Amino acid sequence: MTKFKPGKLFTSLAAATLLSAGAIQVHADEHPIKLGAIYILSGSAATYGQFAQRGIDLAISEINEDGGVLGRDLELVIEDSQGKAAVAIQAARKLAYEDQVDVLMGLDSSGVAQGLVPTIPELQKPLIITHAATPDVTGKLCNAFTFRISTNVAQNMNAAAEIAAESDANRWTTIGPDYAFGHQSWEFFGNALKDIKPDVELMDDTAFPRFGAEDFTPFINGVMDSEAEGVLISLWGGDLVNFVRQATNLGFFEKDLELMFTVGAATEVLTALEDRMPEGVWLATRYWYDAYDNEINQKFVKAYIDAYGNPPSYNAEGAYAAVYAYKKAMETTGNTDGPALAKTLKGMSFDAPNGNVTFRTGDHQAMVSPNWGLSGPMHPEHNIRTLEDLRVFDAEKVSRTVAETGCTL
Amino acid sequence: MSGLGAALLNSLDIGLLLFVIAVGLNIVFGVLNVINFAHGALYMLGAYLAFTLMNLLGLSFIVALIVAPLAVAVIAVLIDRLVLRFIYERDVADSLLLTFALLLIINESVRMIWGSGIHTVQPPELLRGSVGIFGDTLYPVYSLFVIVVGLVLVAALWFIFNRTRAGKIMRAAALDRDMAEALCINTKLVVTGVFAFGAWLAALGGVVAAPMRAVDPGMGDKIIIESFIVVVIGGLGSFPGALAGAMVLGLIHGLGGRYLPEINLLLPFVGMALVLLFKPNGLMGKGANA
Amino acid sequence: MKSAILLGALALTIILLIALPWVVPYFYIFIGTEILIMGLFAASFNLVFGYTGMLSFGHAAFFGIGTYATAMLLLHLQWPLLACLLVSMGVGAVLALVIGFLSVRLNEVYFAMLTLAFGMMVFSIAHMWRSVTNGSDGIAGFTLGAFGLGIDLTLGNPAVYYHVVLAIVIVASLVLYLICRSSFGLTLQAIRQNAERVSFCGLNIRSYRLAAFTISGAFAGLAGGMMAPFLRVASPEMMHWATSAEPVLMSILGGTGYFLGPFVGSALFVLLETWITSVTQAWMLFLGIVLALMVMFFRRGILGTFLDWWLDKK
Repeated sequence: MTKFKPGKLFTSLAAATLLSAGAIQVHADEHPIKLGAIYILSGSAATYGQFAQRGIDLAISEINEDGGVLGRDLELVIEDSQGKAAVAIQAARKLAYEDQVDVLMGLDSSGVAQGLVPTIPELQKPLIITHAATPDVTGKLCNAFTFRISTNVAQNMNAAAEIAAESDANRWTTIGPDYAFGHQSWEFFGNALKDIKPDVELMDDTAFPRFGAEDFTPFINGVMDSEAEGVLISLWGGDLVNFVRQATNLGFFEKDLELMFTVGAATEVLTALEDRMPEGVWLATRYWYDAYDNEINQKFVKAYIDAYGNPPSYNAEGAYAAVYAYKKAMETTGNTDGPALAKTLKGMSFDAPNGNVTFRTGDHQAMVSPNWGLSGPMHPEHNIRTLEDLRVFDAEKVSRTVAETGCTL
Repeated sequence: MSGLGAALLNSLDIGLLLFVIAVGLNIVFGVLNVINFAHGALYMLGAYLAFTLMNLLGLSFIVALIVAPLAVAVIAVLIDRLVLRFIYERDVADSLLLTFALLLIINESVRMIWGSGIHTVQPPELLRGSVGIFGDTLYPVYSLFVIVVGLVLVAALWFIFNRTRAGKIMRAAALDRDMAEALCINTKLVVTGVFAFGAWLAALGGVVAAPMRAVDPGMGDKIIIESFIVVVIGGLGSFPGALAGAMVLGLIHGLGGRYLPEINLLLPFVGMALVLLFKPNGLMGKGANA
Repeated sequence: MKSAILLGALALTIILLIALPWVVPYFYIFIGTEILIMGLFAASFNLVFGYTGMLSFGHAAFFGIGTYATAMLLLHLQWPLLACLLVSMGVGAVLALVIGFLSVRLNEVYFAMLTLAFGMMVFSIAHMWRSVTNGSDGIAGFTLGAFGLGIDLTLGNPAVYYHVVLAIVIVASLVLYLICRSSFGLTLQAIRQNAERVSFCGLNIRSYRLAAFTISGAFAGLAGGMMAPFLRVASPEMMHWATSAEPVLMSILGGTGYFLGPFVGSALFVLLETWITSVTQAWMLFLGIVLALMVMFFRRGILGTFLDWWLDKK
């Protein structure tokens, strides 16, 4: 994890000498390979960063036990972005120049991503984004060094629109956080829904409470008083927890509304709410631990539950997968040179818990599907809601074309 | 109409809660001539202690209501005796700086002890759920409870200040400290007592607020700005002023949040600026001119 | 004699500052730039606090609006940097004039609360006015073009930008210093020591205070303007009271009684922050304890205590 284990190196050196020249590389350089990570570690969304760190720690310990990468151990240096772009930019500089990390990963906030991504090429290190979903970072802000392993807003909203079109809700509004993520979610959802159902009405009366606002009562009342039939809710983190509690008190969930929570199935939120998350609402997540039946996912979920007691969140899975992506890239390239790794990652495919993932050449966006499901009964062991009617989409179908993203690489 | 009714009730419970918190600030200023920047942090401590007592130790809400404010009052006594007494005689600026330092210390300590995440406190069984008012608008029972608590405190504080000896002493010390000392009133005791009382009120506000709001390390900062606005609008050092200021701010939040949510954040400041333009001492304040 | 030594020390410091990029590890060029910008910010604050005796907790509003002004001009109009910085000074001054007008009429306690509240008001506006300020996401993605005056510089190079900042800060500090030493500055100090007496001399202390506040706002705006290209983003946090607290702390740390105190404080603050945050998350706790100790026992600050002692020695 975060410690260099000399005993590990000893045994590998001994093994290498015995096996002599050939398959295993021996590096005279004993320095570990450093992964730099920037996540939200404080404030109302602190659990997201903490869970990401869990994913990274798990991946690193698995990889180090297995001999490391290119014969070197992996080591994590993590910084708190506090959800602020300025802090993240300075953290990235510190990681790149002071700590001299080899690669970067992170970002829990679309706002942070919009600020940080343009400065990444100067650092000459690749960045894999595992959470922030603004389409811009693989769109108009795309660059040679930035990659995203998780679903973005465009993909998620295309999927959401498909589900929304199935219902008979024709008048939609939204409650979302007042920053890039909230606004873009609504924008992309509206466009996608209009494409499928042109006579749907997207209300002008929308609600964008401040991220970190505590009191959602006026917004909840506002929606309940309006004539909305469907509500797209893109609140997340502590906001979503507060919202659900306050909405329950006001009878929001008794009204006959079609509710879609764009990131409602984050285990960070589900564990905080337990049975207070209502049944029968659509919840989405970038990765649902129960949705994938491959060997890697089974191993990952089991190892995570063994280590931490609850099922992995999407942030944990994204971070875990990113470490493995870097491992593959480094082994393919043969070194940890920033620009070389960026070239290798472009178009690279690798096996992650949610299947075989490819970073699309044109925009560096991973072709992955969001997971949507209806909240069901409580899981007997994990103490969170289960998801029924689980939908996994065809990544190619829900993604925009490269031309549509506006990315020119 | 029902929307308006709910908004007005909302204003009342927000306003009364604000009053409970801001009046402590006002009282401390009145007697010590110091604005305690850490007042919001004491409120937050009350909320966190309530969380600990109720969620982690499984005790009841009543226990939290009694124990938490007392514990914070004790901490306040320690702060006063160990830290603040050094600079009471000095420039007001130094007191402001010192209470600001305390704010940083308490904020970070809370973060270190309880972590950075948000916590939720459930209201006691009796006070959960909602009742129908004004037809079919649902209103949370707990908010009604807050209104009751607020009104009780208003009455109790009025009684203390105007009808008891302790109240008279506090008002005397506020008006003229040297004279009060000359009359053999132990002003050191009064100072510590008032500071502790202000802290007790802030923490009580915190316990009462905990089931309604998120308990997180940022809650102290949010409330201190609100308290300042209340005090500026109402007038420093004035008890009825604190009530008036709190009610005004409550209305701004309740009505503004319902009908003008986009600029909701801004309205309290606009209100404050307007009051300052026409009544620089606040609606009912005593002399504040430079 | 002693002033000669002091001047010599100052000259040596400036020479070292100029040589910095070639002497320290790459990362410290960023640290150095930050220290200089924040030092100017703190010095502008100290005009109001140390010299005039008004404790302002909302100075980040002027700093922040300078950051936004430069960022927006760079993003939308690609003006040369010098022009942007002049605009930043202007908006900082105007905002200070408005807020100052409402605040300087009242006594210290009110003043502290009001400046805090108004600072947060500006923060709220930046946070909410999405169409103009891009809300909580802030303004990002601007590139640095020309410097202005026909001087050709690659501002994107951190070392080059550091030298640009150094030059501007030295010039600005000189101007600020001259203001402090002028009769205007002396009047301000008199007002701090005994406002009533000064008003008995027939001077309108309110105007003097407002003037000091406005000038301070201008220089804070300038500092903020330089911050935008350094951070690459202008965000509402720069106007938050937590940012307003920084020049306060820096001035107390370094010493409010001497002109260079805030600069010393800035260096100490930024270096401590960089070192301590790499070890622990509890930076704010440490800051609070240091501030408390300084206020209680070392009220004159590090540089202040030293100079008081040294200048007094025979």
